[in-house]
Amino acid sequence: MSAAIEPQADWEPKIIAFLCNWCSYAGADLAGVSRIQYPPNVRIVRVPCSSRVNPLYIIKSIQHGADGVLVSGCHPGDCHYISGNYYARRRFALLKSMLEFVGIEPGRVNFSWVSAAEGEKFARVVKDVVETVKALGPAERLVKRGWSNE
Amino acid sequence: MSNWTLDKSDIAAFLSDLGKEYRVFAPVRRNDLVSFEPLDSGEEADLGSGNSDVPPKQVFFPRSETLFTYEGGEVTAVPLEEESRLIFGIRPCDAAGLVVLDQVFNSDDYQDPYYTRRRENTVVIGLGCDRPVSTCFCTAVGGGPFAVEGLDLLLTDLGDRYLVEAVTERGQALAEGNSFLREAVEEDERLKAEIVARAEQAVSGPSTEGLKAKLDVMYDDPFWAEVHQKCLGCATCTYLCPTCHCFDIVDESTRGGGRRVRNWDSCQFTLFTLHASGHNPRPSGQERMRQRVMHKFRYFVDNFEMVACVGCGRCVSKCPVNLDIREVIEAIEAS
Amino acid sequence: MSELEELLRAKARQLLAEGQVQQVIGYERGTVPLRARPCFVRDPEQVERLVWNPHCENNLATYLHQADGKVAIVAKGCDARSIVNEIVERQVPRGDVVIIGVPCQGVVDRRKVEELLDGRDAFDGQITQGHLVIHGTDFEESVELQAVWNDSCATCRHRNPPVYDILIGELVEAEDGEDVFVAVRELEAKTADERWAYFSSEFSRCIRCYACRQACPSCYCPECFVDQTQPSWFAKSDELSDVMAFHLVRAYHVAGRCLDCGACARACPMGIDLRTLSRKLQKDVRELFDYEPGMDVEAAPALGSYRQDDSDKFIK
Repeated sequence: MSAAIEPQADWEPKIIAFLCNWCSYAGADLAGVSRIQYPPNVRIVRVPCSSRVNPLYIIKSIQHGADGVLVSGCHPGDCHYISGNYYARRRFALLKSMLEFVGIEPGRVNFSWVSAAEGEKFARVVKDVVETVKALGPAERLVKRGWSNE
Repeated sequence: MSNWTLDKSDIAAFLSDLGKEYRVFAPVRRNDLVSFEPLDSGEEADLGSGNSDVPPKQVFFPRSETLFTYEGGEVTAVPLEEESRLIFGIRPCDAAGLVVLDQVFNSDDYQDPYYTRRRENTVVIGLGCDRPVSTCFCTAVGGGPFAVEGLDLLLTDLGDRYLVEAVTERGQALAEGNSFLREAVEEDERLKAEIVARAEQAVSGPSTEGLKAKLDVMYDDPFWAEVHQKCLGCATCTYLCPTCHCFDIVDESTRGGGRRVRNWDSCQFTLFTLHASGHNPRPSGQERMRQRVMHKFRYFVDNFEMVACVGCGRCVSKCPVNLDIREVIEAIEAS
Repeated sequence: MSELEELLRAKARQLLAEGQVQQVIGYERGTVPLRARPCFVRDPEQVERLVWNPHCENNLATYLHQADGKVAIVAKGCDARSIVNEIVERQVPRGDVVIIGVPCQGVVDRRKVEELLDGRDAFDGQITQGHLVIHGTDFEESVELQAVWNDSCATCRHRNPPVYDILIGELVEAEDGEDVFVAVRELEAKTADERWAYFSSEFSRCIRCYACRQACPSCYCPECFVDQTQPSWFAKSDELSDVMAFHLVRAYHVAGRCLDCGACARACPMGIDLRTLSRKLQKDVRELFDYEPGMDVEAAPALGSYRQDDSDKFIK
């Protein structure tokens, strides 16, 4: 039952990316300033720390039309708030495992450590996520149906 | 009103035939749960398992129902039920429950169009209870295992066949000329009388005679502090009750469009009476338990001269902590 | 009345009479056959209400949240672990609760009994010599207790309360044989499509009564996420997306705190399989963080702590 709806030929996945202000957001910024190309499919949400990301944001993103989600934070040991990303790591390990267990396709929900100096890595991660989600097709599981008058 | 018999071996064909004219709802067993569902072709009605786990009120008053959808500035109302429907195998307690719901949703002052349309469009064929179970107490609240309130036709299980009795003109019209029905004979009716007598004996329940009078003066009684203690505050009793009818209307939006939807709600939830100011007139389980009992056995009687309980016993058998309304009634009567 | 019941009542009487506690939370006989249910005893003269038998299925720890003053509570292995968890999470001061531990062999699953009876109405039952004997109007049925234990009991490895103040009865042998996570592993081995089909089918029966949440001792938030309106996270209608979201998030909120007492599944009026999902999370918590909730009052909760060498495998 995967990708039962054939996406339109020009369908582009929508990826919501939660980036921590101090590392990953800065890394994304660096990618931009360095004119490193990466797919425009990401919509970036800046958060103070990866541990600010409530798992409900991830689930709600998928519910309301995100085909994929990325959460990115500082490398362990480098968190601006000392230990935020350690707590986040545990939290997200469980969330990812649970979502995949109930049948959300692996590759829809992604996590990365990207530092402020890693513009290249950010671009690589985004490309990787977009490619994976493109191959999976539009999200269907957990998605709230639209109420359009069609 | 006439009587007929219907052979059990003809039930599937009888229902299938009715299915040509009506959307037939019957008790169906899925995943160990019996509920009233539209009969898919080939699916068998489960008529032997006593009462359904989920009451048939959802056939008339669904758990969630879309009232209208909107997108941009445009609103599109969901059309009212057009289909002719038929509910088969509903028990007398649940049919009496429909009569209770009628007081609320189809009164002189107010008619809920969604509910009333479904009610008008649905023929109600009941099945009497020849084997009431220990949690049944319909007779204690003015009902009975073969009561006909709310029914168009009543079936009685006579062994290899059902006795089919018309209760209303509508039931009479449906049964008259139906090729699966034979005229009943005296023996059939004699058998039924025996079965009814046995069944009525088997049902017991607390006396509710002085209940209203007691409740009229019990609002501030310390009784409520004791009785609610084990209540978890879930909605099992209210959602599985054939007469409970509280609902909430909310808007749900996503991606530029949305819908207005009516959902079941429960007076047992903390949120039920939470005001926008933050004040909650029913702040604890004590007030909410009192409300439940008062609503069913006092306020509803004041407003509609009937008790809002049909003795189906689902709240008793399904309550996770065995909070027993019969016991509550007994305690009030004894106080 | 069993010897254990006598002991239990004597202890309860003593605790109340001496003013050591304001109330005893225990079990009493139910009003329907084969049922025991929670009861609250404040008067030492009322301790005769207390019973202890394999029908004592409710997890009483959930009542500690509304308890006033010092209470004594009858606790099976699982219930005691719930209490330990509540102490770890600072919900209940250790000094405010007297744990009356009762080693437990298991509780009877009412649904399994109902299935066995197949529509026949029981009016009484006894437990004798490892069998449950059920009496009806025109039948008597005897079944081995093994066949009607709750699923959570069948694989329980903590039948003895890990923490208690008073012990009623002898400690029982822990059974370490069966793999608790068999059902989880079986599902893990299936495809994502099959798993989605399974969970959608189970959760589509949900009527959002929240019996699971209310029965769970770990669900004590004054405002549950599902009731929040500013913002509103998920809708309360029957759309599968929202129903699934409720169960996923609830399972996730009790991750690292759930000890598989089974109270949620027992409370559910629709018979939904709630435990496979929470057991999956339990398995993850054990494997990833080497943590088992409810065993140690000094422990740090799994998601409230971390190790520098926690696995990064899933992170790009």
